Amino acid sequence: MKTATINKSDIDKCIDLLSQADYRVIAPRMQPRLDGPDAIDVQVFQEIQPGEEHAIGNDLATTGIKEFLFVKHEPLFAFEQRGKKVEITPVSHDFPKTVMIGVRPCDAASVRSLDNVFSASNVGYNDELFTKRLEQTSFITYSCTDPDASCFCTSVGLAPDSDRGSDLHMTEIDGDRIHIEVKTETGEVLAQLLEPLFQGEGDAAARKKAGEEVFAKISRIRDSNPIRAWLDDTANFDDEMWQRLGEKCLGCGACTFECPTCHCFDIVDENRGGKGYRVKFWDGCQFDHFTLHASGHNPRDWQYKRYRNRFTCKFKIYQEKFEAQGCVGCGRCIRGCPVNLDITEYMAEVAQKATAPNAVTSD
Amino acid sequence: MIEELRNKAKELLESGELDVVIGYADGSDSARTTPIFVRNPEDVEKLVVDGRCVNSLPLFLNKRHEYPRKGWKKTGIVGKGCDIRAITQLIAENQLRRDEVYIFGFPCDGVVSHPNNWDGSLNDGNIASKCSDCDVKIPTDADFYPGGTLPDADRSGPYQITAPQVLNLMEMEHSDRFAFWRDSFDRCFKCYACREVCPHCSCNICITDRTQPNWLDQAAHKKGVFAWHMTRAMHLVGRCTGCGECTRACPVDIQVDAFNQHMKDVIQGSFDYKSGYSEEEKPPLITFKVDDREDFIR
Repeated sequence: MKTATINKSDIDKCIDLLSQADYRVIAPRMQPRLDGPDAIDVQVFQEIQPGEEHAIGNDLATTGIKEFLFVKHEPLFAFEQRGKKVEITPVSHDFPKTVMIGVRPCDAASVRSLDNVFSASNVGYNDELFTKRLEQTSFITYSCTDPDASCFCTSVGLAPDSDRGSDLHMTEIDGDRIHIEVKTETGEVLAQLLEPLFQGEGDAAARKKAGEEVFAKISRIRDSNPIRAWLDDTANFDDEMWQRLGEKCLGCGACTFECPTCHCFDIVDENRGGKGYRVKFWDGCQFDHFTLHASGHNPRDWQYKRYRNRFTCKFKIYQEKFEAQGCVGCGRCIRGCPVNLDITEYMAEVAQKATAPNAVTSD
Repeated sequence: MIEELRNKAKELLESGELDVVIGYADGSDSARTTPIFVRNPEDVEKLVVDGRCVNSLPLFLNKRHEYPRKGWKKTGIVGKGCDIRAITQLIAENQLRRDEVYIFGFPCDGVVSHPNNWDGSLNDGNIASKCSDCDVKIPTDADFYPGGTLPDADRSGPYQITAPQVLNLMEMEHSDRFAFWRDSFDRCFKCYACREVCPHCSCNICITDRTQPNWLDQAAHKKGVFAWHMTRAMHLVGRCTGCGECTRACPVDIQVDAFNQHMKDVIQGSFDYKSGYSEEEKPPLITFKVDDREDFIR
């Protein structure tokens, strides 16, 4: 495995070199805001041109990278009604050669989970809009330095310096240097582009130490191991916990849309006077009409059942159906929840119930 | 103060007068609180009241949130002054009867602007801007108030000060202002947190969820997002009580309450109406008065 170091101040030059090689560069960027006492930092991934400001190495971005692979809305085709006939016209989709830089390990790990859904070989399904984008995309990941109180990646088998899903992995080793590891052949191509910036071999010992230091900073630690078996037991489907913890859920989609692995979508015809587009766009299991049948029956009739589905999807359905990790522990669903509904509270309680099945829990 | 409130809540739950008390409890990290539904009198100990109590709990009184309301006959609710204003507005709009709720009021010094800014106490550096000139620090209505009866308060001053950042926005060139919203709306993915936290979004089926006919595009493209935010703002004209929860709840920090703040000024100027202060007076856009202004009809 090839390693190297670069100066942290040369990150901007990385963007220049990648852009010169005709990559579309996607990086986190601070968002404009109204100045005032309530202003908070919002950072999202956006296409970035050489010389533009970026937020690589800042806190975890407010939203992840999934919208560049699983676009939040896109037309599938155009239609127009002519008399009794409907004319269908294809719409073109472009799949630009892209590199995402400054991607945190949790976000990078989530890409594999999405890929298993959209190119699920076990169900013979291939969403070309996703897979063609992914083919064209490479990932330069960046180890975390400053996890916050909502981060819990270490509880789901990841770490602030994980390189899963990474092509080229960067880790800050001291204040001003970055250790680079080439993880894949794609990463090798990127490394050749960045070679002019290399300051010699990597420093594996310093990189390991940096990773361990950040690992120790993660304060929210849960045991996710017993969850799957507990969820597999159908008797627990009607456990009183679901209602007790979930009754305050408001049914917005903040958690699902911020989640890097949530992948549900809807397809509608946007029809204006007989012509329009068939559009695919994000949908979420937390909305009350998500499972509403045409008959009026709704199998998930109350909100706590919808959150039960979300939790079960992350820790059972994902593993069962897609052989992938459902939750990457980014903590966005905790930060973004208007009522502080916390997935790790469910995790803790399930772990407790699973390990002490006869324990009486307070109601 | 909190002990007094807990004791009263316990008394009313034990006597059966209240089925539930909706309040705030410590959240999953030290900078947050979370809504709690206290049914068991012993659980009143979990109730807290401090600068972290940002949520507007009256949303749970709105009939749209059928669950967990199911089966509650009389509901106790812990409310800041601005929350109680929302309850008053719900009553004015026939969403709620006054005798269905028991209001635990308390004097409020304000709430924190964001959990990240919470350092253990409320201070000039972390108070939410909506709280700086609040005229309901002493609430307008309450069944319980620490220390006895609810004192009278002077409310002749300005109401719901329009935040300085919103005024700045209004002073921008039109094209700059439009660019600001275009960039902000680019982040919107239509999670509808702004709708779900709103105590006054009362429709059982929101217009944006209706598909027959499909009034608004549901996808989060530019057209769909603009249509949604404009519709939301217009549906709250003369009804919004300015709690600012829509902006707080937005996971990508789109300052959607700027629209509501601006429309509040328009309504006050046009109809001399302040939402949330009277159970009898109806919002101006759902009533007609012979002396209503007509100068906008040309």
